Amino acid sequence: MTDVQSLDRNRLKELFDLRSSYNVAMGGDFQTDPYPVWERLRKQAPVHEGTVHKLTGYPGEAFFQGLPFPDRPHFSAFSFAACDAAFRDEETFASSPTAVDPTGQAAGVESSLISMNGAQHRRYRALVQPSFLPAKSGWWISSWIEETVHLLIDSFVADGRAELNVDFCAAIPILTITGSLGIPVEQALIIREWLSQPAKIVGMLAPIVAARRESPRDDLISVLVQAELPDEDGTTHRLSDVEIYSFAILLLLAGSGTTWKQMGIILTALLQRPEILKAVRADRRLLRATIEEAIRWTPTDPMFSRFVTADIEFFGAHIPKGSVLHLCVAAANRDPERWERPDEFDIHRPLKRSLGFGGGMHICLGMHVARAEMTVGIGALLDRLPNLRLDPDAASPRIIGMYERGATEIPVLFG
Amino acid sequence: MPGAGTATVTIDQSRCVGSGMCVVYAPATFDHDETAKVVVIDPHGDPLEVVESAVDACPTGALSIATADSPTPQKDEA
Ligand code: HEM
Ligand code: HEM
Repeated sequence: MTDVQSLDRNRLKELFDLRSSYNVAMGGDFQTDPYPVWERLRKQAPVHEGTVHKLTGYPGEAFFQGLPFPDRPHFSAFSFAACDAAFRDEETFASSPTAVDPTGQAAGVESSLISMNGAQHRRYRALVQPSFLPAKSGWWISSWIEETVHLLIDSFVADGRAELNVDFCAAIPILTITGSLGIPVEQALIIREWLSQPAKIVGMLAPIVAARRESPRDDLISVLVQAELPDEDGTTHRLSDVEIYSFAILLLLAGSGTTWKQMGIILTALLQRPEILKAVRADRRLLRATIEEAIRWTPTDPMFSRFVTADIEFFGAHIPKGSVLHLCVAAANRDPERWERPDEFDIHRPLKRSLGFGGGMHICLGMHVARAEMTVGIGALLDRLPNLRLDPDAASPRIIGMYERGATEIPVLFG
Repeated sequence: MPGAGTATVTIDQSRCVGSGMCVVYAPATFDHDETAKVVVIDPHGDPLEVVESAVDACPTGALSIATADSPTPQKDEA
């Protein structure tokens, strides 16, 4: 089914290099370790005035959810309790500055689930949640993940060496999502390049949506065209084409770069700690705790943001209505109030929720898909590449980036 | 299961969004129905501290736990 050979490796490199021009806007070129600064800030106060990147000392402008909005006051939260409280209070801390009209003409993230609030968000989320339950992981794995993972390994298994960040981690999530949307592999890379041009993605999705309306298959677009949305007045409607495009674009934006970089972070953590790698290789059940710990220790997206809908005293800060509150989940995930030795990567901690997948109503919809991709991907590397280790003659991977953190390169040897 | 017999998990389906966080932590206790709402499949499926971490993990406060010492009324039991 999947023809992974048609993915050009050099093209992959260009598209997925964190320092390439595509990602500089989100601070992909940031090299300093921000955690010591975040620790200092958290000790000073749970909530500070300013944006996370400015408070961290990032020299330029960086963009992400909740930025730039130059005309609004900005605040940033660094403690677990403050971030958790904000995630759980969607009335005071809303996901978009204005109400969303999903039935309008323009498809895009701004009109998707992630920007909705309250009852509207619940209705749209309830529609897709069944396809993203933990119990659905098997469907995602056997339909799209497993075959992709093995074909990618086939492409380098005979070489004795590989660069896992781009040749492996980057390719799995984009192929999983495009696969679930019914987009052929030859077009998967073009999609990545088009992420900032939703109109082009819509052009690619339109014939697929039309075809699935005619004859549904066992894929996500078919689920969406058949789904019925209960409206506020109790009637139901089918999703319009524009609503489906917006959701598909959201999946592509929120599900491809994130899982790629998180998988690279996990592999980096493991390869730089050979004794843990050995333990996980010997007892594959430890992979679950390893993945959860990596998402706590270094979540790929360190910050999410909310729009403040009322004047509020919040963890010692006076935050006026109209402000943007940035939730530095990466700092919260190392709050010593919640974790002992928080800077240590320790897979033997008792399992406990972190904020790496967010919290509250908007908690990551794709987190079980992401976990499945990372579990199957890393498990297959351990199964098929004996004596997997970092290439001692190449530069060791470093974790870089401001609002999208990930590994530089992961050069490995095996056999 | 140590301690599990002394505690009762209560679920509030109206708050549940089906995030699946509870299943990540206590997979032998929780599952979902076909509308992605939480159900208890086995109240003694996991040790108490595991169920507690699942309750803490619920992003929408749909789960609570009552121990024998401090009973809270059952509500919205599915
Ligand atoms: C390790 C990888 C991933 C991480 C760290 C991650 C993280 C997050 C976080 C923190 C949020 C919350 C955003 C907010 O509160 O504003 C979120 C939301 C979301 N994620 Fe993920 N994500 C990952 C993978 C995925 C995947 C694979 C998919 C899709 C298949 C996905 C789809 C979504 C969607 C649709 C939302 C919006 C949910 C809503 O607004 O209700 N994510 N993600
Ligand atoms: C209102 C919400 C959001 C808006 C308007 C938005 C907008 C965008 C846009 C326009 C791009 C393309 C940038 C480019 O390549 O030129 C992008 C990329 C990206 N977004 Fe967002 N985004 C939103 C929410 C999220 C969330 C919730 C996540 C993570 C859970 C996320 C993660 C990413 C990542 C990782 C990329 C880079 C794509 C990649 O490297 O594969 N975004 N976003």
